[in-house]
Amino acid sequence: MLSIYYGDMPEAIYNTVIFFKNTYMDDWITDDLCRKMILDVDKSIVLGPHVIDSPVLGGIAPGELSGGVKTLIAIYKVPERIFNASACGDNCAKWILKIGEIQDITINLRHLMDFGDGAFSIKVINTGQVVHSMNELLPIAGLIVR
Amino acid sequence: MKGSYRIIVSNAKIRYDFTLKRNITILKGDSATGKTTLVEMIREYYEAGPDSGISLRCNRSCRVLGGRDWKLLLSSIHNSIVFVDEDNAFLPTNEFAEAVQDSDNYYVLVTREGLPNLPYSVEEIYGIRQSGKYAGIRQVYNEFYHIYGRTDFLKPVRPEQIITEDSNSGFEFFHGLSEGKRYDVVSARGKSNIFARMLDYTDADLLIIADGAAFGSEMDRVMKQAKTSKKVSLYLPESFEWLILKSGIIDGKNLRAILESPEDYIESRLYFSWERFFTSKLVELTKNGYLQYSKKNLNPSYLHDSIVAAITSAMEMIDLR
Repeated sequence: MLSIYYGDMPEAIYNTVIFFKNTYMDDWITDDLCRKMILDVDKSIVLGPHVIDSPVLGGIAPGELSGGVKTLIAIYKVPERIFNASACGDNCAKWILKIGEIQDITINLRHLMDFGDGAFSIKVINTGQVVHSMNELLPIAGLIVR
Repeated sequence: MKGSYRIIVSNAKIRYDFTLKRNITILKGDSATGKTTLVEMIREYYEAGPDSGISLRCNRSCRVLGGRDWKLLLSSIHNSIVFVDEDNAFLPTNEFAEAVQDSDNYYVLVTREGLPNLPYSVEEIYGIRQSGKYAGIRQVYNEFYHIYGRTDFLKPVRPEQIITEDSNSGFEFFHGLSEGKRYDVVSARGKSNIFARMLDYTDADLLIIADGAAFGSEMDRVMKQAKTSKKVSLYLPESFEWLILKSGIIDGKNLRAILESPEDYIESRLYFSWERFFTSKLVELTKNGYLQYSKKNLNPSYLHDSIVAAITSAMEMIDLR
């Protein structure tokens, strides 16, 4: 299940890009779900653990992926840690929901990410409530963050 | 610093072209749109100049601020355009807000956080998108777009309930107008309370009146809440004082030119956001006259019929009769 703590959270990893740079393993990049996230968010194709084909930048190393996709991969591959998911744009939201369906994860959000019009289950740690839509989530999270 | 600044930065693969008009510009939006790439190109050009292979055109120095020693670095940067990427934990701190207020630079901040301690405009929140144009071989053109696009009202707004950000003169004006009318007016007592007050009126035709010049930090949650109902309208002039100046009831040297291009007249070091300038200008222009303005208490002359008519007719498509 996906759990979210809204607002300042000192124990969360704020600079997810540095964390990714110093911890990622080759097999993270070639993992099926990671390939799909890289293709969807960065529009880039994983050619191997060290090379990704970006439509704008050409052949790039994993360190040149977007901050959003690096954060998604960290959330997926290191579920025991809490990451600042405000490094992710709304185009990452569906993947956060997907990872939360696969395994229990907790993320820190410092803004109102839009999880879309569909149904979901998210636990808001600040209040202990479980919500199932943006219409339910917004009045709760909107009182905590902007 | 004042004025507007066009920045064109490019390498063999990407080109950015945008113009800054105020001291604080926010860059946000989807991942993988090129925000960090832009900041990296600015940094590399500063480090290596044209030898970097990057071309940068701007008539001010462009710098990147980051890391634990940001305060030390910032103290040496003046009259420049300062870019800060989102991975810097100092961005939402009061310390950084105070440093921005005390400096003579313009700032481009990459962040999705609201940054409530920085008074930035709803007009200066941008995303980046490809413009779809390609030059020569394979260069992608990136442009800024307004995240919260200016949308003119398609039909007259006739509210049942008005929430004002202001609790002083602005509120007193609209509250004064409401006597005997079909609508009520409440003050949220500050921009940060508007979202919570919106939740009290989810069934009413609601009009929110706030100072657009400093409402940027609230815009995301207010817009998201507004989207859950088709009955919410936002009226965000630069400020109530700007609205009075725009209404034509005050004479002043250069006033028309100032209102057309405020960026050419507002020194960012003196005015943290534009609404402070407009308040100062209105106080200056009305001093010792019958429309002498005070932000704290509304001069009753502003509720005379002809003055009310002039101010409300400057609020296009909003019907407060």
